[in-house]
Amino acid sequence: MKALLSKSLRGKEVTAHSRSSAVHAVNQRLVSHNSSESLGFEVILIANECSEETKVKIVESVKHYGMEICKFYFCKKDEVIKTLQSNNVKLFLSTDSDDIYKALHAVMKLKLTYDISTGVVCLHVLLSLDVPAAVLYDQNGVLDQLKVTFSGDIIGLSEDSLDSLADFGFSESQIKTFKSAKICIKEFAVLIGEIRRRFGHENSPLCTCLITAWGSRNVCLSALKILGEWGLDVDEAFCMAGAPCSPILAVVKPHILWDGGLHNLRDLPNFEL
Amino acid sequence: MYKPTVKEMHSFWERKETCNPSSPSKKPKPPKPQNAITIAVSSRALFSMDLEQDIYEQQGMEAYLSYQFQHETEPFAPGPAFPFIKAVEAVNAKLRELYPDGEELFDVVLMTSNHAHVGLRLINSINHHKLFIERFCMTGGNSPIGYLKAYHANLYLSADSVKVREAIEEGIAAATVFSPGKISEVPETQLRVAFDGDAVLFSDESERIYKAHGLDKFFEHEKAHENKPLDHGPLKGFLEALGKLQQKFYAKGQRMDCPIRTYLVTARSAASSGTRALKTLRSWGLETDEALFLAGAPKGPMLQKIRPHIFFDDQMFHVEGAAELGTVAAHVPYGIAQSGKFKFGEQFRQV
Repeated sequence: MKALLSKSLRGKEVTAHSRSSAVHAVNQRLVSHNSSESLGFEVILIANECSEETKVKIVESVKHYGMEICKFYFCKKDEVIKTLQSNNVKLFLSTDSDDIYKALHAVMKLKLTYDISTGVVCLHVLLSLDVPAAVLYDQNGVLDQLKVTFSGDIIGLSEDSLDSLADFGFSESQIKTFKSAKICIKEFAVLIGEIRRRFGHENSPLCTCLITAWGSRNVCLSALKILGEWGLDVDEAFCMAGAPCSPILAVVKPHILWDGGLHNLRDLPNFEL
Repeated sequence: MYKPTVKEMHSFWERKETCNPSSPSKKPKPPKPQNAITIAVSSRALFSMDLEQDIYEQQGMEAYLSYQFQHETEPFAPGPAFPFIKAVEAVNAKLRELYPDGEELFDVVLMTSNHAHVGLRLINSINHHKLFIERFCMTGGNSPIGYLKAYHANLYLSADSVKVREAIEEGIAAATVFSPGKISEVPETQLRVAFDGDAVLFSDESERIYKAHGLDKFFEHEKAHENKPLDHGPLKGFLEALGKLQQKFYAKGQRMDCPIRTYLVTARSAASSGTRALKTLRSWGLETDEALFLAGAPKGPMLQKIRPHIFFDDQMFHVEGAAELGTVAAHVPYGIAQSGKFKFGEQFRQV
């Protein structure tokens, strides 16, 4: 079983070095424990269509930084989703929140189309097409430990509480997206949980973290329990109860930050690519 | 380009807490960190975890986590800082009555280097004891110092002296809390905080003189410098924060029975070296409600009379003396009285 991550570029260099190194560190430790280990990360890179010269530059840059990228895709913006689906990608990382929104939204479109005609069977098919999407957090994190952070709000908030987000300016379709994102992230969380269990509680190359920005401590409790049921016991947990997250994130330094589209975990800086 | 429109999420708290349908309707909302007086407390200071700590020390991390997981639904018993935190919450309740929209409140944050695995049991314990702690950091073994800074913690209480030292070195007011064998009963309607003077509220300047040149030289020095304020010590900022909240009660006519009371408990003597201490406080615009000059007498019996929720001192001798007689005492590892040498600098955040 493989967890595939894909990264999206806008044709310029991205300092994804630290994340790739961290992923590499996880893969190395997995194999060192068990040489026939089938679980690991495969990273594929997705970039927009560009000139041959730029393509070469990207590939050369990847080699130069020693990043472990096994496939490259250069495609049009509207083909990104198809590429993700055809590669059975478990997690899509991008600094472009538009791409992320489309990935989540694509899930919704499929659900609506299939729901009517094929019912339960279609739901199963849908899950394998779901692509949870997370933001590449542009911080220079620790190189020998991959830090993956989940939003406690999306995972821990009850259905009612998610619905009540309508009172705060979120549309119905946005709320549907959040609910779907919660279903969507499960597969990835299960895989991360499996990988995490290969290592002990100390000196692990993979560190998982839960940040609850808006929810109360009981929302955080609920999120911890749900993730536990999915097989993922997070290492670190933070509950902010409305306090700003940025100072905490500056200390946590996650490589991957999944907030289910809620965008409440960070002040959105403009990432300079 | 899609952008979520989000109103001030602070008012998210005014919603009924629907995640836990069995809990009563509204919870008070936590104040914004920039307006609040943030007290960060560790899990072992807040709760009694001696048994679990023994398991960790003797059998290692995996056994410890496994034990915690198995006892997830068993709430921890109160620890040494528990009465202090309860009293702090009582002050908040009174402030909310007087100032319903006010944000100048205490904000208690659980700051633990415990693994989030233990988080379930900790949150269950907070729920069981009906504490108002909504913010926490479980750092999974990492140092809490960065998070203390991120939260602008006004005070950090921990059972771990190493972390407390680190915090003091970084300019954060911190103290190691010790559990007395038997905690004396403390008032429920008034928060009482007692401070030593030198190397706690004040710098350790005078203690250095005393250690280097003896008591006579110390008296001489203090007399000569009576009108020169001492430099500030690690907990001056916290006294200042308490003073600000006291002013809010005074403004509503509650000076005589103010829900916060502060004490200076010093080995200085009233007749001589005490003057400089009082003049220093005055020059800072601060005061304590009571000042006890013991002229070198043991502090334990006096503290037993006062019954503070917590007493801060830089010398273990006094901390132990207080604890023996039932006072929750906290050691401030600052100044010449410590075995290591550190310079307390300008890093302390002014409230």
